[in-house]
Amino acid sequence: MAMPRILQRQPANRSLVSHCTHHHIAVFLLTFFSYSLLHASRKTFSNVKVSISSQWTPSYLNTTALELQPYELWNSSHLFPNAEDATLFLGTLDTIFLFSYAVGLFVSGIVGDRLNLRWVLSFGMCSSALVEFAFGTLTEWLHFYNKWFYCCLWVVNGLLQSTGWPCVVAIMGNWFGKAGRGFVFGLWSACASVGNILGAFLASCVLQYGYEYAFLVTASVQFAGGIIVFFGLLISPKEVGLPELGDEQDGSAEEDANKPLISNNEEDEDDQNYSIQAPDTINQPKPIGFFQACCLPGVLLYSLAYACLKLVNYSFFFWLPFYLSNNFGWKEAEADQLSIWYDVGGIIGGTIQGLISDMLQKRAPVLVISLLLAVGSLFGYSRSPNSKPINAFIMAITGFFIGGPSNMISSAISADLGRQELVKGNSEALATVTGIVDGTGSIGAAVGQYLVSLIQDNLGWMWVFYFFILMTSSTILFISPLLVREIRLLLHERHLRMRTG
Amino acid sequence: MGCPGASGPGPRAWVLRLLLGLAAWRGGAGGRSPVCGCCPGPARNGSSVASYCRAHPALELRGRCCVGPEPGAIVGLDLGNCSLTLLCAGFPDASAAVVIDLTENPLENIPNASFQGFTRLQSISLPLALECPGGSMAWDRITTHSDSRTCQGQRNPCNSSGELAWLCPENSLCSPDGPGLVQCLCSGSYHGYKCLREGTFPMLLFYGILGAVTTTLSLLAWGTQRRKAKAS
Repeated sequence: MAMPRILQRQPANRSLVSHCTHHHIAVFLLTFFSYSLLHASRKTFSNVKVSISSQWTPSYLNTTALELQPYELWNSSHLFPNAEDATLFLGTLDTIFLFSYAVGLFVSGIVGDRLNLRWVLSFGMCSSALVEFAFGTLTEWLHFYNKWFYCCLWVVNGLLQSTGWPCVVAIMGNWFGKAGRGFVFGLWSACASVGNILGAFLASCVLQYGYEYAFLVTASVQFAGGIIVFFGLLISPKEVGLPELGDEQDGSAEEDANKPLISNNEEDEDDQNYSIQAPDTINQPKPIGFFQACCLPGVLLYSLAYACLKLVNYSFFFWLPFYLSNNFGWKEAEADQLSIWYDVGGIIGGTIQGLISDMLQKRAPVLVISLLLAVGSLFGYSRSPNSKPINAFIMAITGFFIGGPSNMISSAISADLGRQELVKGNSEALATVTGIVDGTGSIGAAVGQYLVSLIQDNLGWMWVFYFFILMTSSTILFISPLLVREIRLLLHERHLRMRTG
Repeated sequence: MGCPGASGPGPRAWVLRLLLGLAAWRGGAGGRSPVCGCCPGPARNGSSVASYCRAHPALELRGRCCVGPEPGAIVGLDLGNCSLTLLCAGFPDASAAVVIDLTENPLENIPNASFQGFTRLQSISLPLALECPGGSMAWDRITTHSDSRTCQGQRNPCNSSGELAWLCPENSLCSPDGPGLVQCLCSGSYHGYKCLREGTFPMLLFYGILGAVTTTLSLLAWGTQRRKAKAS
């Protein structure tokens, strides 16, 4: 009964209300933590690698004559002859995961737009939790170690995990309008980093009981998150009778035209529940096809740009601790801790740049300036002296200029693209577009992991940085057509405003 | 023997022992283990095994074995003058033996691992051609006779500071495993393969808390968010 009141107040100050309801806060937190939990379980896997590889191998002894006894306790596991082979296999699992994740993103975006986003997200979280449980806990309890079984499970896990990102971005896009999107999404993209910290924390807490419990705990928490999402998440303001967002300013007329229809639905629903389906199917927008979504302006270019940028960003994610301990001889734990600064820079960068892009109402110029500075900071970082504070500082700056734009493309810009004028009102494209952008990005990231190890092996670390610079420049190249268009629009708007004003 | 980390014989070992015992009972052999009947006749009168067995009233001779006081435990084993070139198949059954006599046999070489688990062995007599199992460092006294060698007083290889300074991996401790042989067993509360695990995961506590938190948050979220939602 409070609803009609909200609705009546809605047209007056929509933007204010849309930033104030507790629904927005709940949606922000639920999507934030559901993606955090998905990312936490990935981090768990990378943090228990040492334990897993020692579970899979017999004891390593430098003198072959002395074999540790009893045999069952020290040498009975023979999945891999030594730790190097196990590490190689774990790296292969990472690559398998990234590829199946990328493929999954294309699919689950489409699925998300056609089915209920909440069901897809909740299903993805719970089922991926079950797969992780089977991968890490069940195989250990049953002492069933099989390479192919592990590979299959990780492929399935990649596919299921990929449901997360398109769904949460689509839901966030439904709730937060373009006006404050850059800032809100910038803040919200911290979810991946928070997930990393959460995963590292959970894993380190229970690792003493055995690596299987690290999987058990993260999988259980993720499963619980899926349940909470199922019971608590509102996928769109529509669901509680709030009007849908009118993204562009000029869309407000159309939005107002829809209003009576929505409030009518609301009254119907209060009296008779069974009649919901009829008005709902009429109101339900027709989802957009995969190729249609690819052809939306900006989608292809941003996807390619993101492929290059995510390559650099994920290379930092995967290789930074290794680079630090390899190049400067710092301890692995210290290097792990230090690499957090890259994430910190990325979060701050994403938020501030999002805020600036909100004020400017254009995102491409902010991206390009940030990426130009990123080239400089990459160059500077490659020549960082052997000093932890200085290195951490330059690392944070690099994170600011690379992680920031990366976060912005994968969240705020994906939401912009999926809700642009061309698709608004008559089709659902948000999850599909997010899936395409992030999927292309993930392919870039997967290929990048391979290339980085190849370049580092053959040419050394300095060339890895040159490769990063090249990739960042390619990102700028892919964005430049959009930059030209947006600057032209910006000038045009200013021109109009000057005329009218 | 046994499961990783478990101290003492595991269930599999017990089953094996039971089957062996049954087999011995059916066959009506002198001893309970085939090793006692591996060589015909009783223990030789003058052997160290026979004298050891007589000196302890709780023990009795059965076939080639000196058995007691726990049922089936082989305390002594006399395989002297048995024309053995290799040890009998059931030899590991005698792993609790204190006295063993292998003299007057054309034994050529006994692998060290044959004595794995023979931690109570205090005296072993061998043909002169053979060295003491585990090497001379593994024994306190070695006496040689005209055609035999007796090794007495098994040393604990974990305590020796010399060449046999055993380094066990993290979380495990050295423990004797027969003459000159050691094993590494998990120390303290460590357990599992390679002693990588410590303590037991508080399953009930974890799922209790997780369940309670999940229920609370789900109810809270449903009550404040989805209760008023249209089904879609």
